[in-house]
Amino acid sequence: MATTAQDLADFMARTALGDRAAFAALYQNTNAKLFGVTLRILKDRGEAEEALQEIFVKVWQRADRYRPDVASPISWLVAIARNHCLDKLRARRPDADGMDDALEVPDDEPTPEQAAINAGERNKIDNCLDQLETDKAEAVRSAYLDGYAYQELADRFGVPINTMRTWLRRSLMKLKDCLTS
Amino acid sequence: MSVGSEQTGEERGDEILVAEYVLGVLSASEHARVARMIADSSELQQLERFWQQRLSDLDEGFEAVPAPSAAWQGIETRLFQQRTQASAGASFWDSLGFWRGLATGTAAVAVVAFGLLVLQPRTLEPEPAGTQLVASLTAEGSDVSYYALYDGETGTLRLTGLSGEPVAERDFELWVIHEGEPAVSLGVIPVSQRLSVELPAEDQAKVGDGTVFAVTLEPLGGAPEGVATGPIVAAGGVTRI
Repeated sequence: MATTAQDLADFMARTALGDRAAFAALYQNTNAKLFGVTLRILKDRGEAEEALQEIFVKVWQRADRYRPDVASPISWLVAIARNHCLDKLRARRPDADGMDDALEVPDDEPTPEQAAINAGERNKIDNCLDQLETDKAEAVRSAYLDGYAYQELADRFGVPINTMRTWLRRSLMKLKDCLTS
Repeated sequence: MSVGSEQTGEERGDEILVAEYVLGVLSASEHARVARMIADSSELQQLERFWQQRLSDLDEGFEAVPAPSAAWQGIETRLFQQRTQASAGASFWDSLGFWRGLATGTAAVAVVAFGLLVLQPRTLEPEPAGTQLVASLTAEGSDVSYYALYDGETGTLRLTGLSGEPVAERDFELWVIHEGEPAVSLGVIPVSQRLSVELPAEDQAKVGDGTVFAVTLEPLGGAPEGVATGPIVAAGGVTRI
């Protein structure tokens, strides 16, 4: 029997109440996805498994913070997993990134008002990424899925780090406009 | 191009910082700085949620890879520090079967009935001292739902409100009903919040087969005479498995 989003919501709710059987069911239904996240970002099986265990410890401890009106259960879990891995990566990277922090944000695009965030037709991010140049869209995806920071993205795409930051900032702004238009 | 925009360049810059923060590309010190900015601004928090929600559509790009089987045992050991040994696997599948059964059962509930199931934390303690009761409180035609867990050891019923909006000029009231007896009020309960209710000692002693928990819609402050007057929005009896 397929597990639905509602089943996961049930498991989450019961986990928040300290129900260990529900926690086991939650694990059973989501471990593959979350292991996929830790493996993709940490790129080491041993580390990925270690991280997975730490992540589920957090899930047990923080299940009561899950808000069904803000995120689906799987989105919430993936966000926890992703952030956990990114924290690990950040901790081992050199902190000084040598970037000009006062980098100007280009002002050549329409800027929606705050209200637009919550209103109107929302485009799926894939459609909006399709409107970016291929390598710029790829940089956004790669940052999200592989957890690459600016230096790694710059190396991969063969551009200076400040260029990469300009790319990504512009891309994010265009994405925001697209997503809220 | 930016006709009608109320935003300054600085605001736009903060917006992009939040996007970079959620994307995860900032250095550790920048990341920490932006986290503090977000903590201080409800507008930035809203923006953080926006990016988290929009970017989460990319989650499909994470390919599922089943975790090594030892991982679950490691998690149980870390959390509960109890022997899991070989029994962990078996009890794990037991509990899965249990939840699948539950899912099937809830699909068939009547309008106001819900299943209340008894479950023992088999994964952990061989002989649990108290009984745990788990309840799903929902009703067709109502967007209000709760989950409840009763811990027989402490006599505490914990409720998590999952969804639903408060009804104007009305309160929800929680009741426990022992077989053949009138309902006993456990008080007015909030919608969509967590709460714990300790049952009166005499009710604790009676909880078991035949016990029903119910939620009714009552005037503000609860049923005036201590007797339910409003419609039942959810109710159900204990089933032992």
